[in-house]
Amino acid sequence: MTTLTAPDRPGPAPATATSGRRPRHRALGSVGSHAFLGLLTLAFLAPVVWAVISAFKPAGQIVSSPLSLDPSQLTVSNFTAMFSDVPIGRGFVNTLVVLAVKGSMTMFFAPLAAYGFAKYRFPLRDALFGTVLVTLMLPTIVLIIPLLLEMKELGWVNTYQALILPGAVDAFAIFWMRQVIAAVPDELMDAARVDGCGEFGIFARILVPVIRPSLAGLAVLTVMNIYNDFVWPVVIASSQRMATLQVVLSTLAQNISGNRIGADYATVTGELLAASSVALVPLLLVFVLLQRHFINGIIAGSVKG
Amino acid sequence: MTLGSVVTDVPRTSRPEPRRASHRSRLRRRLAPYVFVLPFLALFVAFSVYPMLFTLRLSFTNWHGARAPQWVGWGNYTYLLTSPSFWQSLGNSAVLWLLIVPVQLVVGLLAAVLLDNARTRMRGFYRVAFLVPFVTPLVAIAQIWVVVFDKDYGAVNGVLRLLGLPAVGWLVTSTWAKPTLALLFLWKTTGFIVIILLSGLQSIDGSVYEAAALDGAHRARQLWSITVPLMRRTLMFALVMQTLAVFQMFAEPYVVTKGGPYSSTTTAGLHLYNAITRSDLGTGAANSFLLVIVVMALSLIFVRLLRSED
Repeated sequence: MTTLTAPDRPGPAPATATSGRRPRHRALGSVGSHAFLGLLTLAFLAPVVWAVISAFKPAGQIVSSPLSLDPSQLTVSNFTAMFSDVPIGRGFVNTLVVLAVKGSMTMFFAPLAAYGFAKYRFPLRDALFGTVLVTLMLPTIVLIIPLLLEMKELGWVNTYQALILPGAVDAFAIFWMRQVIAAVPDELMDAARVDGCGEFGIFARILVPVIRPSLAGLAVLTVMNIYNDFVWPVVIASSQRMATLQVVLSTLAQNISGNRIGADYATVTGELLAASSVALVPLLLVFVLLQRHFINGIIAGSVKG
Repeated sequence: MTLGSVVTDVPRTSRPEPRRASHRSRLRRRLAPYVFVLPFLALFVAFSVYPMLFTLRLSFTNWHGARAPQWVGWGNYTYLLTSPSFWQSLGNSAVLWLLIVPVQLVVGLLAAVLLDNARTRMRGFYRVAFLVPFVTPLVAIAQIWVVVFDKDYGAVNGVLRLLGLPAVGWLVTSTWAKPTLALLFLWKTTGFIVIILLSGLQSIDGSVYEAAALDGAHRARQLWSITVPLMRRTLMFALVMQTLAVFQMFAEPYVVTKGGPYSSTTTAGLHLYNAITRSDLGTGAANSFLLVIVVMALSLIFVRLLRSED
């Protein structure tokens, strides 16, 4: 983006000209920094690019010559095999349902509760918030057994409720939003109160617009967490009808470790890379489209140095 | 609106607030936090606090799921504290921590400083590229890792072969399994750390650097003696967050190595999961609380250390 605009505006040039005591040093530094950033970029992108390209190679070649690329031999056979082998479409639908309901719950109730924690005093407030912090430290797998028993008791195994309600208002979201809201000056709310604004009105009409960048960050983070969540869904929604995208993917992944008797390594690898690409691309698109909001949201909402 | 503000503006100056205007609004103000917190609280108690207390009670019992739990007091805790596999799992996590967190903070800080510099071109592109791993589903990338680091068919050994180097058993030798797993974790999370650190950098007032530049402080000196101290809180946040994540790490080894070879990648998180899959639920519960204590202690130590550097 910057490269496009750079020729029009003599942006960096005057800086080096006026303070150009060590131009050579600076140029070297710039080469070095681009080498460093470029190398990191390569490392970050290579596995994903490799996987997506390989998904279009014949299954045998992925295994026998992982680095070769013969454009004339590209095929969608891994994708067709994968679509006929696993219910990935159903997985997508289930993930979307969970995403819509659970995501909306987090986006509404987390900032609301965080507002209650940040701007009001009430008995047991600090004890309650302390408990929230403790659950942040607790490994999530710990809660899986009691939660599973609870779901069995409620008759919720393999239901949307079970996928949606636990963790619908994530402790981290509360923690983060409380930090953000605590930084908003009280005067803003007091002024609205003086103007006769109700307590919920203050939240909806005064606070939400002020913290909008952080809310955008929370939204992207929430979408990513829900979309990528797999430990709890694997436990609670293992039936074909209820499996989310990640469950479908991890079931397929089990086959590669040889759990499916007679499964051929190359075929499963091909299907797996196809499924991974299909799972990866929508989220990547969402991220690239919304990256500005997301990055600015995290920057606006994080702990200040 | 204006009428309302006139009415309420007047009593604000007089000391004891007249009841008429404020009685209802004060009541609402008193009730508001309960209403705001309630939906979260209901879900939190039902699906976090209750299971947590259940687990706590479970940690003092011997229970395999079928018959009624037997009370064993501190039995599970003493069993774990004298069990070599528990200590090995903590040791594995500690080694992974060493392989991951220092590298991540140093590389992350350097990258963040470069991305913060207005003279660096293509900043937008780098920021997006760095976050691609963070967006990638773990199950997908973990599987890609298995395929790419395969000893016989993997792309990484393919590159080594081109360079005339011998193949490495990345995931099948106890020497290399930990670094390969650490690499996956670094790959997945470093970009996010860069953005967190970037946010800390952007809150630093630029004028401190101008003053330092006048003093002739070198770039590297500036980084160490100005940037790092000013970013102490952000660095601490990243450090504690990543320590929690490394010691709770479960999904990565679960998908990639299943804890092998020879338990070399059985992390603290995976160790407690293994107890659960053996249906040894009491031990699994005790294991998780021991892990919480370790993580809390580490977090407190880091917070202390970074504070005392003032």
